[in-house]
Amino acid sequence: MVSHTHISHPIVKRGDGNPNVAVLALTADRGMAGAYTSSIIRETEDLLARLENDGKKPQLFVYGRRGVSYYHYRNRPLEQSWEGDTEKPGVEVADAISRALLDAYMKPSDKGGVSELYIVYTEFINMVVQKVRVLRMLPVEVIEEDKSHLNVPDTTTAPDVRPLYSFEPSLDEVLNTVLPRYVRSRIHECLFEAAASEVACRQNAMHTATENARDLINDLTRKLNASRQASITQELTEIIGSADALNKRKSRNAKWLRTRLQRLLMRPRSQSSVM
Amino acid sequence: MAGATIAVNIVSTERPVWSGQAKQVVVPAYSGGMGILPGHEPVLSVIKEGRLDITDPEGKKCSFEVTGGFISFDSNKLTVVVENARSIAYQSEAAEQSGIVG
Repeated sequence: MVSHTHISHPIVKRGDGNPNVAVLALTADRGMAGAYTSSIIRETEDLLARLENDGKKPQLFVYGRRGVSYYHYRNRPLEQSWEGDTEKPGVEVADAISRALLDAYMKPSDKGGVSELYIVYTEFINMVVQKVRVLRMLPVEVIEEDKSHLNVPDTTTAPDVRPLYSFEPSLDEVLNTVLPRYVRSRIHECLFEAAASEVACRQNAMHTATENARDLINDLTRKLNASRQASITQELTEIIGSADALNKRKSRNAKWLRTRLQRLLMRPRSQSSVM
Repeated sequence: MAGATIAVNIVSTERPVWSGQAKQVVVPAYSGGMGILPGHEPVLSVIKEGRLDITDPEGKKCSFEVTGGFISFDSNKLTVVVENARSIAYQSEAAEQSGIVG
């Protein structure tokens, strides 16, 4: 499709010098996920600063309750936000997001439209490694025929010779249908990546927390035993010391001392081990 | 192209719906039903809400109720991308005649 036709659809090309750009940050709904949301926010801040340096006016869109409350707390205006689905992003939320963003993108600049869209999300590499990435979603870059395009998620990947397509009813009509869907599915993909990363981050955080708790328990048990031991030793020393002193004079109180000693040694050992 | 088949793949926004070989596919194209046989020219077409009929190599038919989307066909591979697709059971010949949409 791309190799045969000159495409001038606005989703693909935009060059009106509109300084407004949109930034979508994908954060988590719930905490307990380690540095997941904070690293997204840090990257977003970096990006916003970079865009402002380039003379652009970024508008912020946030997905996920943690991100929303972070920006609310700092009184930063949010263009739009979505919450409540970050662990299981369905088609509906992807649809709502892409519709809002495409609306903003298609609007003329004097009515608050934007000329570019960036997505800050966490790429899921595996259960241990997740990477924060900034993706320029719009305008869509058309990748020309190139050997390296094979691992690029292009809209068309026909092997060898690309067939000459005919378009029904017309090229523009087809692009109008295909490109918004393409954008939506890319956004949905980002949401899935983010959800997978969030779950992995949370599992890692919980794992670390469990291990830490176990270490604490071991440590405290050891301290408890040591202090119990110390107090017993102390008492024994005292009794033996006083018994010696008394014995030197007379064994008058020997019986009383013996019972006290016995009582002390028979005392039940309380909570000797938690583990 | 006698004996050739089309590799059909139907996907909706939520999940893959159906994939397999077919002898003929009729899609509810923008300007009416469009029949696709093996060896059809490459086409990228918008489709509207309606019914999609697949005839498999044994001559059995199955149908899907689809909402808007598009199809892409080249080198005997047909990809149908739609919002929603629902399988509808094959009814009697008469019901099929009257049930044609688009």
